[in-house]
Amino acid sequence: MLLRASYLRPAWLGVCAYWLIAIAALLALLSYASPSSWSVFLTDPYIWRLLRFSFWQASLSALLSTVLALPVASCLFHRRFLGRNLLLNLFAVSMVVPTIVAILGIVVVYGRHGWFTSVFGVSFPLYGLPGILLAHVFFNMPLAVRVLMQTYSLIPDGQWRLASQFGFNRWQGYRLIEWHYVKKALPGLFLLIFMLCFSSFAVILSLGGGPRSSTLEVAIYQALRFEFDLNKASYLALLQILVCSTLAMLVYRFAPKVVQDVSVFRGVSARLRSGRLSLLIDACVLLVVGLWVLPPFLAILMPIASALFWQTMLEPALWWSVWHSLRIALPAGVLALGLALSIAALARPVRWRDWGERWADGLEQSGNLVLMIPGMVLATGLFIVFRALGIGISNAYWIVVWVNGVMALPFVLRAILPSVYQQERRYRVLYEQFNIVGWSRVVLEWPVLRGAIAQGLAYAVLLSLGDLGVVALFGSKGLQTLPMYLFQLIGAYRVEQGGCVAVVLIGLCAVLFYGITRGIGGRRAEL
Amino acid sequence: MLSFDMTYAWQDFAAHYEGQFDQGVTCVLGPSGGGKSTLLALLGGYITGQGHVLWQGAELCARQPFERPMTTLFQSDNVFPQLSVWQNIALGLTPSGRLTERQSARVEWALEQVQLSGYAAKYPDQLSGGQVQRVAVARVLVRDQPILLLDEPFSALDPTLRRDMLQLIKALTDAHQWTTVMITHAPEDARLLEARVMLIESGRVTANESIEALQGTALFEGYGKRKEETCP
Repeated sequence: MLLRASYLRPAWLGVCAYWLIAIAALLALLSYASPSSWSVFLTDPYIWRLLRFSFWQASLSALLSTVLALPVASCLFHRRFLGRNLLLNLFAVSMVVPTIVAILGIVVVYGRHGWFTSVFGVSFPLYGLPGILLAHVFFNMPLAVRVLMQTYSLIPDGQWRLASQFGFNRWQGYRLIEWHYVKKALPGLFLLIFMLCFSSFAVILSLGGGPRSSTLEVAIYQALRFEFDLNKASYLALLQILVCSTLAMLVYRFAPKVVQDVSVFRGVSARLRSGRLSLLIDACVLLVVGLWVLPPFLAILMPIASALFWQTMLEPALWWSVWHSLRIALPAGVLALGLALSIAALARPVRWRDWGERWADGLEQSGNLVLMIPGMVLATGLFIVFRALGIGISNAYWIVVWVNGVMALPFVLRAILPSVYQQERRYRVLYEQFNIVGWSRVVLEWPVLRGAIAQGLAYAVLLSLGDLGVVALFGSKGLQTLPMYLFQLIGAYRVEQGGCVAVVLIGLCAVLFYGITRGIGGRRAEL
Repeated sequence: MLSFDMTYAWQDFAAHYEGQFDQGVTCVLGPSGGGKSTLLALLGGYITGQGHVLWQGAELCARQPFERPMTTLFQSDNVFPQLSVWQNIALGLTPSGRLTERQSARVEWALEQVQLSGYAAKYPDQLSGGQVQRVAVARVLVRDQPILLLDEPFSALDPTLRRDMLQLIKALTDAHQWTTVMITHAPEDARLLEARVMLIESGRVTANESIEALQGTALFEGYGKRKEETCP
């Protein structure tokens, strides 16, 4: 009954379109599979090595990112210091900075002739596992910190008030209060990072350093792009789906849920006692994190002072790439937001009903589909569907927009769902009593939700802006986005000019990020 | 004797409190938004204002909440839901949770005092509202500070339970010679506790008398009447 309301029809439309297209794409790809020939792949030692390495690097990346993020989040929550906001903003940016740009920064710092070599006199073993870990932690540790900071916001203010009454120090506060909340978020967080790293593409392609350190995702790309072996690609895709969905199910089954304790008290959270040891630990942790995240950023921004930068700015190819990037990223962002809002609209009315929790969980999980089905596979499947329908490759634009939108969906969901659920939980009874549904509810909730919506949209737009997976697969002239242009410049050994393009890409990201979060989220929006 | 002379301003609310609490129970009454809870938060050190709070002549203002000779029971959030009853009470002795044998015996004793002896291993969400507040009272007992601040901690309980809790507070105050300050909306609480009454209106102390002296006065009755008018 609850889900049959007429105002939910647009949401149904969104969710059904999402599902139908995903299933069609997968079936299309599988129709080219011939499982009888898979025994060859099963005995192929290369594929087993791929799998082992994928697991190994993803586990290490996820472990390092979360272990580093734990003390960082606690420090950022408790301390106010000069540069704290800068660091938080850098974290926000490093999560969405286009992969290829960050890789460029990492190469400048840790490459053979990079800063690391000139400071320490020895070169950093960048290509292979160390480089992959460096890049993955660069991207995912900030993500982990932000997820943990969100968890901190679930701790009722009343607990900090009690802590100040009993004189907790930082360690006691961590053990008795923070850990209780943080530990529930850890399995989900670990899995999220694991899956992101497991299906990592651009990092492995650029820093993997050859077939010894390759992953399934890269192998799928090679099978599709260079061999056009749909049979092998579908085998590898199924393998990837199997691994990721098994892991997701395990964590989903065993991870406790993070819930907000109901607290009436809202107030200033009191400071905990802090001694020299906690100051020392905080300082060390911030130093490590600062050294990890800051130098690549500085390296990216260096070319701005060079004459080459201004020459590059005058090239028409650059501005065509900006245009192509925008015409993909903006619709993809809006699409991701639309899909996320559809899922949220169908999950929220039943979340706290006896029978509805599983339905709501299932809907939420379906939004994470793309973490299990690689974007590359989705794109190839859609391409086959297009071909079957007689639509030419010139329309690949739509595939790129759709797949980019779907790939951003998990992030948008993470941004908006907590706020949406909080509204539902608090005001459900009032909504029912006064029949506040549809548009009138949107108007009522807009001031509260606009921050989260803006954040979700901004992430989605930026992720699409920096995408180098699907675009690389189709990589034709009409779709030469900024990351693609950059990738080609680096490939042509024009690294310095590439650095200039990277600055433009970063600038575009910054403008869009602030524009969207401030423009839609309002002046008080959190970054 | 706990005396205070404090000013505090927040947005368009400005308060200047001046007065003192003697040993025994004092009920703080006054209209909603008049600044009762603000006074308690200032005394407890949860917000900072300008002025002095003196206990037996010693200045408390510069001290952190945990360094002040007082325990506060709030309207809600008095216990950590993630800790067991035993752990919650032990916090009153040491945040490290490592108790000496004597301290453990003290926790046992406090549990007996509030009639929760069999509940040490339970968690707050396994208890009723009244039992949860009794856990908080047990912690007040082990903490054994001379001042007890109560910010309507029993307002959500049913009348019988509420009465029992008030009597428990009264008995403990007398037995331990505490200075107990309780915010309440009900003048009958003051009668039940045979307490002194402090009236607070618009951030000012407008009366600080024994219940007998205030009974029948325009000020006290006027407040009672205004309160009835607001309750249809």
